Amino acid sequence: MKNAIEIKDLVKRYDNKFELGKIDLKIQSGTIVGLIGENGAGKTTLIKSLLNILHIDEGTIKVFDKDYKKEEAIIKEDIGVVLDNMFLPEIIYVKDINSIMKDIYKNWDTDLFFQYLKDFQIDMNKQIKSLSKGMRKKVEIITALSHHPKLLILDEATSGLDPVVRNEILDIFLNFISDEEHTILLSTHITSDLEHIADNIVFIDQGKIVLDDTRDNIMDNYGVLKCDIEYFKNIEKEDIISYRKGKYNYDILIKNVSKMSKKYKSCIIDKVTLEDMMVLMIKGEK
Amino acid sequence: MLGFIKKDLLMVKGNLKTLAIIFIVFSIMAMNGNGEFTFIPAFLSVMIMMTTFSYDEYNKTNAFVIALPNGNKNVVKSKYLATLLIAFVSILLTFIISIIAGYIQKNLDIESILSTLLGCFVGIVLIQSILYPFILKYGIEKSRIGIFVGIFGISGILSLLLKSGIHIEISESIISFFNNYGIIILVLVTMTILYISYKISESIYLKKEF
Repeated sequence: MKNAIEIKDLVKRYDNKFELGKIDLKIQSGTIVGLIGENGAGKTTLIKSLLNILHIDEGTIKVFDKDYKKEEAIIKEDIGVVLDNMFLPEIIYVKDINSIMKDIYKNWDTDLFFQYLKDFQIDMNKQIKSLSKGMRKKVEIITALSHHPKLLILDEATSGLDPVVRNEILDIFLNFISDEEHTILLSTHITSDLEHIADNIVFIDQGKIVLDDTRDNIMDNYGVLKCDIEYFKNIEKEDIISYRKGKYNYDILIKNVSKMSKKYKSCIIDKVTLEDMMVLMIKGEK
Repeated sequence: MLGFIKKDLLMVKGNLKTLAIIFIVFSIMAMNGNGEFTFIPAFLSVMIMMTTFSYDEYNKTNAFVIALPNGNKNVVKSKYLATLLIAFVSILLTFIISIIAGYIQKNLDIESILSTLLGCFVGIVLIQSILYPFILKYGIEKSRIGIFVGIFGISGILSLLLKSGIHIEISESIISFFNNYGIIILVLVTMTILYISYKISESIYLKKEF
């Protein structure tokens, strides 16, 4: 399968000493990849670097097998973006987005744009600023989709939205990905969304990728072993990825659930959620 | 390119009602013999473009626009072209107001009107040529402070020079400049300054991160 995105040895440094990298990441075409990590971990920095909003210090980025430095404009014709609180000026009218974008994207589809507006019952005669947060987000997503992109890059596209709107938006993404050539890179804090739709999970912590695996592998292989303080002493260190001490018990992140459940028969091993995993890997001890 | 220019012009459209009210009020004042109000379209054209920078900054539109094809190369170019376009519209409006005011006041002086138009055009372009690199480098808020400091600073220096009597010399040199080189040279110099400003702004923008 082809790679939609191929990042090699990417490094982005900030003056305040935060450093993203070195990042090596391959995202296959036809997949939804979820980018997770706490605030300030480097998710947005990675996405902005990918779009040349931030200038990388080292490394190479290829999108659709094309070198980003040489063919940036051609590559961007096939990318749709929804960035966190970054969009066209809110004073313009929804219908005017079409006037602007049709002269920016070669493949802009006016009919599709207005069809989406109709489908999502968005009033085209309103200014962006007068839309609700959910409606505004939908407009951003519609704008990202109306030039028939092959790759969607979404930074916190579902944050701050109620569950109904979030589900509607996730349905849009699932519909988009039904074409095998389409790919989504989705950064979010709402890890439960990714449990429903992501094929792969990339976990960033302090500027480094600490986990890059399929969602199924993570859900099947990782677990949270729960035991009391006494039993904790019997658990071998190499079996512990990280742990958190509770008031009466320990939560231990482990790998190879089937093997561990045989080894530590008297303990309960819960299925891991991405949220558990994030909290244990970031806040847990090792 | 056209899409990016439209973005700036459509922001103006969003404020059209307010602008129209200001324009009508001051035009009526100009037609009632307050000649200084004929400069209002020129003043508004500067304010309009400043507003577009404010909206871009407030909505973090620069980051979004860079993610679009050729965004980083076209944003600055489109700002300068939109500036020229709005400057021409404001000159046209100034012309119309001046003609009407001249008829009403029965003191129509075409030569004086043309000088006013040229002055407005040069003024608009020079002010924006100085402002844009600062706005792109430091952001609209910091630049606003700079604008006030700049305007008061220049006004202060000029008033000191006028008080000291040097103004006669300056006036003569300006008159002799006009006599020797003419209006075309003035426009060319203005446009050259605008181009240099554009190149500086472009270089700032391409290096900038959002």
